[in-house]
Amino acid sequence: MSEPILSVEHLSVDYRAPSGTVRAVDDVSLTIPSGRVVGIVGETGCGKSTLAQAIPRLLPEPPARIAGGKIVFRGTDLVGLPARRLPLVRGTGIGMIFQEPLNSLNPAVRVYDQIAEAVLIRRWREAGVLPSFRGGAEPFDYSHRPLPEPSAVLSRPITPGASAMESARRRLPGRRDVREEVLEFLRLVRIQDPETILDRYPHELSGGMRQRIMIAMALSERPSLLIADEPTSALDVTIQAQVLTLMKELIDEVQASILFISHDFGVIAEIADDLGVMYAGRLVELGPVAEVFRSPRHPYTKHLLRAIPERYKSDGPLAAIPGAVPNLAHPPPGCRFHPRCTMAQAVCRTDPAPAFRPVAAPASGGAHSSACHFAEEVATLP
Amino acid sequence: MGASGLALRGLYRVLRANVLSFVGFVLVVAIVLVALLVTLAPHLLVPYGSTQETGAYSAPPSLAHWPPSYAHPFGTDGASLDLYSEILLALPLDLGIALLIAGVALVGGGILGLVAGFYDRPGTIGGWTSAVILRTTDVFLAFPSLLLGLAIVAALGPGLWQVMLAVLVTWWPYYVRLVRGEVLAVKHLPYVTAARAAGVPERRILVRHVLRNILDPIVVYFTLDVGTVLVTFSTIAFVIPGVVSYPRPPEWGSMLSFFNLNYPISQYWWEVAFPSAAIFVTALAFSLLGDGLRDVLDPRTRRALVESVAAPRSGTEGPEEGGTSVPNTTPTMDRSEGP
Repeated sequence: MSEPILSVEHLSVDYRAPSGTVRAVDDVSLTIPSGRVVGIVGETGCGKSTLAQAIPRLLPEPPARIAGGKIVFRGTDLVGLPARRLPLVRGTGIGMIFQEPLNSLNPAVRVYDQIAEAVLIRRWREAGVLPSFRGGAEPFDYSHRPLPEPSAVLSRPITPGASAMESARRRLPGRRDVREEVLEFLRLVRIQDPETILDRYPHELSGGMRQRIMIAMALSERPSLLIADEPTSALDVTIQAQVLTLMKELIDEVQASILFISHDFGVIAEIADDLGVMYAGRLVELGPVAEVFRSPRHPYTKHLLRAIPERYKSDGPLAAIPGAVPNLAHPPPGCRFHPRCTMAQAVCRTDPAPAFRPVAAPASGGAHSSACHFAEEVATLP
Repeated sequence: MGASGLALRGLYRVLRANVLSFVGFVLVVAIVLVALLVTLAPHLLVPYGSTQETGAYSAPPSLAHWPPSYAHPFGTDGASLDLYSEILLALPLDLGIALLIAGVALVGGGILGLVAGFYDRPGTIGGWTSAVILRTTDVFLAFPSLLLGLAIVAALGPGLWQVMLAVLVTWWPYYVRLVRGEVLAVKHLPYVTAARAAGVPERRILVRHVLRNILDPIVVYFTLDVGTVLVTFSTIAFVIPGVVSYPRPPEWGSMLSFFNLNYPISQYWWEVAFPSAAIFVTALAFSLLGDGLRDVLDPRTRRALVESVAAPRSGTEGPEEGGTSVPNTTPTMDRSEGP
């Protein structure tokens, strides 16, 4: 069992506002093993995007502040890393795909230059022109790559039989064959005739196209970990399905470790290996997707799953969870879900909150954890 | 390079679509060409040359105050100098001063503005630098720029360089404010975060992702500003007589000042009208060009404009609608007006 790519330990993130401090992410722990796709679902405002941006330390600090915990990426705690070293982790270490393809591409830069920048950053780091995690004093030795490199598989489907000479030439910094590589990555994200869009500006492309370019940019740095923060939410349903299919195919081809944030159970079910559920800043359940879907161990998950509209259901209103999401500036004591929970008892209203604990070790591998006092009884919930 | 060629063609097409900016463009090109010619080959354009003509000062008084005629299209002044030649000879100096002051203010103020806007995290070295830059600009901005300029000239004493320095000192803070404002508007946009997430180094983000996206309004502002600098410089030269020694070097503002002091304007109208017109036309040309540039530099409006021009034109020769429909996006700042 190899060391996980990323392990988040008891991470808490605060936002400081004039009206008070809001804890957007509270004591979240999760690990992403090499080559596994971890999906996080939750309602709007539950802290999932904050979590996604906190991992590569992209949150503007202030107003955000990491209040505690560790983010261990390939053996390096990113929380302790000085700000000037953080860019070295991003891109080639942790890649990111954002929610808003409309605004996430530089409007003044042509498509070719956007992707070429990413390709060049990777090449320069590999060649040592730009600093990366390298050398004895550095936290991560980029050159000797102790872990199996899942993203090395990336180019295989599109460059069959690339010789050793070829790949050595690729590593050299320079702009000579950047164009071919940019085209390769555009083909990888299933853009037909990529030559025709190289000179376009982002505003001349459709939303789906822009998201593909974002994905191509992120992949072209060959990150060890890819964080996708609701990559399909801003797209309309048809395009969403296309991008989702693309991502699914890419996940098989690339074999990268992925943290996939979404508010859509359907999307997560399609893509993820593990499923985490967040509620009001806390991770309430984490386990293999099939396991969580079949036997949820937290009442919130159970209620959420029941609220998914069934395709052919036509009788009666849709199921809903009574109550509203708590205000994170004044969260309820104890379990944050207790005001809306049908199983709530006196112990749920008292601090400390129920611990996040393993509830079962299913046969499929990977532990199933839940933060509920009555995790074992959730199955009896009607 | 193909890209710049395309940009030039686009520039031409867009400028052609809007009559006023086309006029501005043609005027600016003409003014720059004339200034170059006057500098390099004065005998081609200037009928009564300057340097070898020092004897002109002792020209017979009978040649003074001649109204416009065939021999002297703009008339002559009280020192018997041909006004047409003098205005042409003053052009390289006035244009150069305007470009130099605006350019130094743009580069200097712009760099300070970039730093103040981008590295403004409180508690860091950048945060302190930013605070110092901004408070200093506040001090300068507290005074009306023309008054401050006059006060500085009064302190420094007469001379061309002293006036230039005075204008420059009052000029750079506007660029700090302008650039900082633009940086603040852009630096938290998703594409800057996306670039950061891609591991782009901070300095490269500043240049490639922030500066590149704020360049257009700054270039537009600079173009508009060249005319304003010219007017301000001339105003100081006009208000303080003798601050730029008349008649050498020839300078439009000091010409006006000289006549204003010594002769009744109503009697010798040409001695005021033509130098004023020179200032007016030059400032107007840069103003019109700046407005046109605003349309050209935005890739969105540029494509739309190029397409609207490329489309077959209907019979009338009127200006295309697309050229004038772009909203004014350049921040403007209050400046005192010229003479």
